Amino acid sequence: MANYYDIDDVLAEEEILPAVFQQAADGVGLLDSSDDTNKVGAGSKVELPFWLARDLHLRGVVSIDVPPYFKKISRTRKEIGADAAHVDLRSRCQYFYELGLKIAPLVGDKTIGPFLLVAFQTRYKEVLVKAHTAASAVAPKHLTLLTNEETKLYEAGQSSTAAFKKWRMGGPRLQKATVLGRKRKPIE
Amino acid sequence: MAGQSDAQASTFSAAELEFLAEDELIEIVPNLRMDPLNLICGDFGPFRPQIATQVPIWLAVALKKRGKCAIRPPDWMSVEKLTQVLEAERDAEKFQPLPFHYVEISRLLFDHARDDIPDIYMVRSLIEDIKDVRFHKIGTGLEIISKERTYALRLKNLSAMEANIVRPFVTRALETFYKLSSPDMIQDSDSVQNRQHQTVNRGPRRQLKDR
Repeated sequence: MANYYDIDDVLAEEEILPAVFQQAADGVGLLDSSDDTNKVGAGSKVELPFWLARDLHLRGVVSIDVPPYFKKISRTRKEIGADAAHVDLRSRCQYFYELGLKIAPLVGDKTIGPFLLVAFQTRYKEVLVKAHTAASAVAPKHLTLLTNEETKLYEAGQSSTAAFKKWRMGGPRLQKATVLGRKRKPIE
Repeated sequence: MAGQSDAQASTFSAAELEFLAEDELIEIVPNLRMDPLNLICGDFGPFRPQIATQVPIWLAVALKKRGKCAIRPPDWMSVEKLTQVLEAERDAEKFQPLPFHYVEISRLLFDHARDDIPDIYMVRSLIEDIKDVRFHKIGTGLEIISKERTYALRLKNLSAMEANIVRPFVTRALETFYKLSSPDMIQDSDSVQNRQHQTVNRGPRRQLKDR
């Protein structure tokens, strides 16, 4: 589904998740730096990036826990329920939606899907208004709250509106092609 | 280069749209005598003084710059027509029919043929008003994407420039909504029914304005 070369997809999988080892494992002491034995005992809690946690989870080595902001009872959920548009999701997780989509089938939490959708629905309206109207003075403050996906959406709207305004204001109609400006190298 | 569209984004730049709009036909009254021009896009002329003829806008502008013709503004660019459109635009929910390239054509004529347009200040401000009303409608219309499950938008009577401005935003938003509301993520009885329904119907489509 996701594009293999999509950098955002790669980065989204770098997000750290809490996980618990179900089995003891040798030689991976770096994951659990509490002692020098180079072992991870069964039941020890570690933090793993999503890409690693997913594969270990599928092999039954670890069990994944959702990050705090996806928990059923969490501050984030309450805040989203109250006023989604002004929740700072960026500081929680830059790839909030992407990660949510990936993690929901793994942990089997059916409430994550609707939660993501509701969050995006409310925040979408805010982005829509800001992207097409906002003077650039208001924007930066709002921009710091947005996740990666929302920022891109905002920029898509903002840049096309700005380009149209620029065209309407006029300015030089003819532009020099980049190839024409170059100096020719003298032939030796 | 600012004049060209971004290679990645699937949109035109405003200058490119203007270029496309220059192919629209417009009536001119030449003041020179010239044989018909046989161009790939068609034959234009013959040009006789005071005999009106149809040419593409780029040709009209080129002749105008050399002082060889007067441009006749199109029918829709009159004060009465535009006033009607503006009023209808304010009252009705739907977008009024206007030429597909009305934004570009009006700018081209305002730049190159100011002396040929009667009541130019009035016409210009009417077109600005119409454009603002329509943009506002687009803005409020796009909010409905978030309210219900939407897979496509029908943009009836939306002009080239308007569609082009919202295109990057709308495609991205629809894509994200599609991902987030996929049946795998939203599992309730309602969506299962919906899924069967969609295979027949390709999903609900929304009018940009339907409230």
